[in-house]
Amino acid sequence: MKHTLKKVGALLLGLTLAAFTLVGCGSNGDKTVYRTVDEIKDKGTINIGVFSDKSPFGYVDENGQYQGYDVYFGNRIGADLGVKINYVSTEAANRIEYLQTGKVDIILANFTVTEKRAEEVDFTLPYMNVALGVVSPDSRVITSLDEIGPDDQVIVISGTTAETYLEETHPEIKLQKYDAYAEAKTAFENGNGCAWANDNTEVIAFAIENPGFTVGIPSLGSADTIAAAVTKGNATLLDWLNNEIVELGKENFFHADSEATLLDTYGKDYEDTLVVEGGVVAAK
Amino acid sequence: MDFNVIISYLPRYRDALLLTLRVGWQGVFLALAVGILCAVVIDLKIPVLRRIVGFYIELFRNTPLLVQLFFLYFALPKIGLLISPVVCGTLGLGLLGGAYMAETFRSGLENIPPIQKESAESLGMTRMQVFAYVVLPQAVRSSVPGMMANVIFLLKETSVFSTISLMDLMFTAKDLIGMYAKTIECLTMLVVFYLVMLLPVSILGSILERRLRFAEFGD
Repeated sequence: MKHTLKKVGALLLGLTLAAFTLVGCGSNGDKTVYRTVDEIKDKGTINIGVFSDKSPFGYVDENGQYQGYDVYFGNRIGADLGVKINYVSTEAANRIEYLQTGKVDIILANFTVTEKRAEEVDFTLPYMNVALGVVSPDSRVITSLDEIGPDDQVIVISGTTAETYLEETHPEIKLQKYDAYAEAKTAFENGNGCAWANDNTEVIAFAIENPGFTVGIPSLGSADTIAAAVTKGNATLLDWLNNEIVELGKENFFHADSEATLLDTYGKDYEDTLVVEGGVVAAK
Repeated sequence: MDFNVIISYLPRYRDALLLTLRVGWQGVFLALAVGILCAVVIDLKIPVLRRIVGFYIELFRNTPLLVQLFFLYFALPKIGLLISPVVCGTLGLGLLGGAYMAETFRSGLENIPPIQKESAESLGMTRMQVFAYVVLPQAVRSSVPGMMANVIFLLKETSVFSTISLMDLMFTAKDLIGMYAKTIECLTMLVVFYLVMLLPVSILGSILERRLRFAEFGD
């Protein structure tokens, strides 16, 4: 017994020390984790965090190449900076984390601009519009959140705006959370959950690709925008990107991007609803 | 570190701890039952069944829990078997643990020198009596350290449950970081909660080990 107590004592001591070290790390945050534009150019590679499973925005094609709307933009950034691009696969919940730890220089992963996130990272000018949407099976199409009963579960992906929106405005709705797009998709196809709430771009694409599902709520919550994000305080990269987005607007780059990557999924009708050109959101 | 954040997250971590414990212990008990059953089948050398058990043990010991959960949760519904996340977690943990427990108990049973069984039989004990009074007490004793290690291993394996949408401790931490980005607070709480869950098991294990020294051969 004495031996055991000693062990516990040592462990507690270790933990306290560890806690103090962590507190220490938290307070001396003056060591920068991000790289400036010059440092990136010096090194010759830029790390960009993208999705690998979110077609048509960021995904890996059958040849193992990153493709999609976000990636098309990423390729251009690399070309204009004159550096090689190292795409880093990310999941929704890691996006802030990857920037804060300097794992990536830029996040281009369908990142919706929200106030809370803006406290943690710096967003560039927007390059796409987005709202939330809810898709459900044809057998029971959900057209209003009121139709969701106490026994129903709504599928959401951890770390997305849909999750935060439902948690904060509808705490009574039970959520079934997944940590990756691919898993949420498969689970929903398999018949888990009564509906899936996500960016409307994503649920519309899902319903087009999967017969038997309907987007009952095409727009929910506030109209938001999607932007690139850099580590908080990385002013040189932020300015460079903002300038790049404005410049690209002059050549209608994002329309070309959309035609190259989104046309197959959404058709021409959605183009002007989705695309934000030159960082300027059209007045509704 | 912001202690207000920690306090506001406590209820979520408590729920996660309860869920982890509930599914974790259900899995552990299932694992114990499966393990004992399999070990007995192997020890009694029951034909056919013995081969099936052997195949099961190798299958589950040589595939990761994550893969087993994926199979149970995402593949089985394709053939019409939709199981809930809690059942899936329990089943996955129970089957993985069962294979490990079976090996632990088997080695416990094999530890007993044949001469003891022969001696007991020569004294007129039936096969069942030999098993119940001679073999089992000693086998249990020598299996305890391995068994407790398995229990801790299984409780820690719950950390891959996020893949089947169970809000266990690991997923709760990841989820909160994804929403509010309070990384240091979330991860510190995660470590502390795992310790709160596992330290007592660890201590209980060493106490149990000492208490069960009674049935040692040559004591």
